[in-house]
Amino acid sequence: MKLLRLGLWLLRRERASGEWRVLLLALVIGVGSVSTTGFLGDRFKRAMRDEGARFLGADLLVTSPRPVESWPAHRLIQSEALEFASMVSHGDTFQLTTVRAIDASYPARGTVKIAAQPFTPGTPSRALPPPGAVYVDQELLPLLGAQVGAQVQLGAAAFRIAGVVTEEPGQLGGVFGLAPRVFLRADEVAATRVLEPGSRVTYLYQFGGPPAALAAFTAALKPRLAPTQRLVGAREGIESLRGAFANTDRYIQLAALVSLLLAVAAIAIAAHRHALRHYDQAGLLRCMGATSGDLRTLYLIQLGTIGLVGSLAGIALGALLQTVLAHLLLPAAVARLPALGPAPLAAGVASGFVALAGASMPALLRLAQVPPLRVLRRDLPPLSGSAWASAGMSLVLLLGLTAWYAGEPKLVAIFVGALTGLALLLALLAQLALGLGRLVQRMSYGPLRFGLAQLLRHRFDSTLQLAAFTLALFLIALLALIRSDLVDGWRQQVPADAPNHFLVNIAPHQQQDVAAFLTRHHLAASELYPMVRGRLTTKNGQAIETTLPPEQTDASTLRRELNLSHTVTLPANNRIIAGQWFGDRRGAEISVETGMAERLGLALGDELGFAVGDQTLHATITSLRSVRWDSMQPNFFVIFAAGPLDDLPASYLAGVRIPDDATGVLPEFVRSFPGVTVLALDKLIAQVGTVFNQIIGAVQLLLGFLLAAGMAVVVATLLASLDARQQEAVLLRTLGAQRAYLAKGLLSEFVVLGLLAGLLAAASAEIAMALIAERLFDLPVKLHPWLWLALPAAGAALVGISGWLTTRHIVRVPPMQSIRALA
Amino acid sequence: MTPPDIPRFPDGAVVSARALSQRVTTADGELTILSDVDLAVAPGETLAITGASGSGKSTLLGLLAGLDRPSAGEIVLLGARLTDLDEDARARLRAGRVGFVFQSFQLLPALSALENILLPLELAGRRDARARAADWLARVGLAERASHTPRQLSGGEQQRVAIARAFATDPQIVFADEPTGNLDVDTGARIIDLLFELNARAGTTLVLVTHDDALASRCARRLHLAAGRVADRVPA
Ligand SMILES: Nc1ncnc2c1ncn2[C@@H]1O[C@H](COP(=O)(O)OP(=O)(O)OP(=O)(O)O)[C@@H](O)[C@H]1O
Ligand SMILES: [Mg+2]
Repeated sequence: MKLLRLGLWLLRRERASGEWRVLLLALVIGVGSVSTTGFLGDRFKRAMRDEGARFLGADLLVTSPRPVESWPAHRLIQSEALEFASMVSHGDTFQLTTVRAIDASYPARGTVKIAAQPFTPGTPSRALPPPGAVYVDQELLPLLGAQVGAQVQLGAAAFRIAGVVTEEPGQLGGVFGLAPRVFLRADEVAATRVLEPGSRVTYLYQFGGPPAALAAFTAALKPRLAPTQRLVGAREGIESLRGAFANTDRYIQLAALVSLLLAVAAIAIAAHRHALRHYDQAGLLRCMGATSGDLRTLYLIQLGTIGLVGSLAGIALGALLQTVLAHLLLPAAVARLPALGPAPLAAGVASGFVALAGASMPALLRLAQVPPLRVLRRDLPPLSGSAWASAGMSLVLLLGLTAWYAGEPKLVAIFVGALTGLALLLALLAQLALGLGRLVQRMSYGPLRFGLAQLLRHRFDSTLQLAAFTLALFLIALLALIRSDLVDGWRQQVPADAPNHFLVNIAPHQQQDVAAFLTRHHLAASELYPMVRGRLTTKNGQAIETTLPPEQTDASTLRRELNLSHTVTLPANNRIIAGQWFGDRRGAEISVETGMAERLGLALGDELGFAVGDQTLHATITSLRSVRWDSMQPNFFVIFAAGPLDDLPASYLAGVRIPDDATGVLPEFVRSFPGVTVLALDKLIAQVGTVFNQIIGAVQLLLGFLLAAGMAVVVATLLASLDARQQEAVLLRTLGAQRAYLAKGLLSEFVVLGLLAGLLAAASAEIAMALIAERLFDLPVKLHPWLWLALPAAGAALVGISGWLTTRHIVRVPPMQSIRALA
Repeated sequence: MTPPDIPRFPDGAVVSARALSQRVTTADGELTILSDVDLAVAPGETLAITGASGSGKSTLLGLLAGLDRPSAGEIVLLGARLTDLDEDARARLRAGRVGFVFQSFQLLPALSALENILLPLELAGRRDARARAADWLARVGLAERASHTPRQLSGGEQQRVAIARAFATDPQIVFADEPTGNLDVDTGARIIDLLFELNARAGTTLVLVTHDDALASRCARRLHLAAGRVADRVPA
């Protein structure tokens, strides 16, 4: 009790001291960064978790590309729905949507909430809209510029929007707002005339019932399932989704962890200096009768208080920023996310305490061992080993925290390896940069020379500061470049006459009419390619699964149905890499895209078997093609020569460029061909770009923490050298150096440090970006002159500010007072 | 202020030492700092320890106060045999009953003058701590400087705060190591006056280390060290 009072009292008295502030600041930054992502991740997870059944809308879901004629006998609740993509229009505005045509028993499990206004809570209700009406995702209304009650056109029929769906099972599909959902009565699908033979439709069969009946049904059903049909149990549905999410979430958490790790470094440095400065205090207290146990309690109370205040402040910051992040990432879905949960709170406090305690306790607890004799014999050495203990403990701690956040050993190893490599590289670069600084110093004079001398003298500190800051600036710059180069670069690469719309699901009997329509309106269009859906099943007579290269364990290409096409002219953006294009030869020949061939271990001369409906087609690979996927032209993995596909049910696909000023064309087309789906590519790209930008924006926000943590490291290292600097400054001033000289010297030291960090970061970002652009995206390498200005400027400003704020009073304090303070 | 009750100690001394030696091992071999020192200080007595620099004065003071362990010999402080006690037990023995004044003042820079005096009172868990601290600050003539930090005080003022701190808990014995060593002659003299005045009023036992003959002569008794041995005893 007495110690509690004393501890808090001393803490309050010393709160203005630099070390406590750095400790607190670093803690707030570290905890803030991990709890921002923690809170958000938790909200997502709970949004998905609540109940498996509610999420799937069923206990059991079977998806199939074709209607399922018969089921094993069962007594389960069953609902049938079909889902397809279609354009919905309101006036002249079009939007691609996912239409779900449902029956009265949909959903088999869980509830749907319908509201009369978007972004209001909604009331539980039947999902089936009244005749002549649809329910739509709330995101659709602004996209169409429509309101509840408005008439929308879906194919050949018009529907009234009777309400918005605010909550539905399986709502996550629409979260990114790419293709908002429209709910339609199954018996009104025919009136829209959207579906033609060959149209791409997914049939959804939901089942609900008691576990025993479900198990029996599942057992009976499994052997009957075709490879293209999928059976999803409530549990596994959730698991697969959560698994996918958990991975993304984990990587974002790791990004946040880097800030926490830098914060740990800052805490360790600050705590070490705090201990150094408190030997006298500890000795004095022991003289006055405090036992080492008392001192330990005292320092633990102080640490605990800092830990609590810092963690809570960090958590508050995290709670605030996660909202910003949620709005950045999912502007449309924020209202649907559950409220903040308590779990990240505990995790935040825990990481805060672990970080603080691990990094600072070794130093502080050694204070309890200060011999009381210290008060009489000033020459007693400061406690040896404490710096190593701190460093060692911090290291263990960093590994522990990493392991905790990363979850699996492999990821920990990769992360730690990458971080260590990066740290070593940065340290090396920093050393080189400082070598450069020495050169400059030789040529400079006055305060700059003095500042550079300081920088070089505190070489270890400078390296640390430089590395921390370079890392932060580098990552931020890299993301900015990825955002600007990849997204914009990709868009700019698309030729001006490239198609901006795809016409999909053109029925064979419409072929001529569509071609005529395109000619009549003078639209530049690609060939009309037939599309037959089939699955790759065999290679040279063997089941394809058994022939895969060893590293190719999960070949999603195999489970999906491929779009098989045939044409006699090699598409313009394709290039033959091996073999010969079959041209107008008829026969069982195919041309395969090289990437696919590589993944599946296919070579020229291989005979492949495809399951198309209930038939099997065999054809031999006579050429391999490279395809420019970013050409915006219709592209295919597998192209057949004329012959084999001729008699199979096909739908046709064309790419067409509709000029921006040809406003009337699209509405007319959609009215004339209600079954044809029009994909607005430019709009889709813009939407994908927006989502991408949102994600990068969110990650950049997290990197702001990294920058702040970098500043904390700078401040902590500067504080550690403050006494020595002060002594030196006093000496210089007594020797006649003017304030302005000292101030300029200090400032030039930090500005140079910041400039160097900026330059290093710019160089690293350019190199990394060049590698990414060339190796991963096949984009031309280009330099970014603005980077070489912006990063050094930002570095100079940030390091300058934090350095100056930490050390400015060295210059301000009159020498007399400094001498007395140092005595 | 009435002097505190002075309990009777077994051998009648507040602090006593017998056959006290201190040896340390250094890089150049074993070094004897103190050898065979005997002494006893009676309640209320004032003792000056004098000697040349390096003669072992501070070492002896530290041993008597229980800040360190002797290599040989026995010390009894406030009735307890220090050699039987571990470091923490010796600390508990000191709490509130032993005061210190140092050459370098040893005030905590973050605390004000008043708070520096408050520190040992809080540590000893005294209830009227704040009032007592204010009272002692006034007694050393610094009532108006209560909120000033050590940085804002002169050396003499700082040492006065340190003296108030040493006496604030009504200790039975005060150890002072060259309390005027960092001060000019005039200031030093005034500090000494203050020290003796407070000591006389409180009836505290005082053991002080000094170079200064004038100061030593104001003590009731004097112990002169030469190369770690007691050279002679000079009664006042
Ligand atoms: N632990 C130790 N290790 C090595 N040498 C020591 C140790 N403790 C004391 N000494 C040495 O013993 C000698 C006596 O030290 P002490 O501090 O007691 O002298 P002093 O009489 O107080 O001197 P001064 O008047 O200069 O303060 C000195 O030479 C000192 O360096
Ligand atoms: Mg001494």
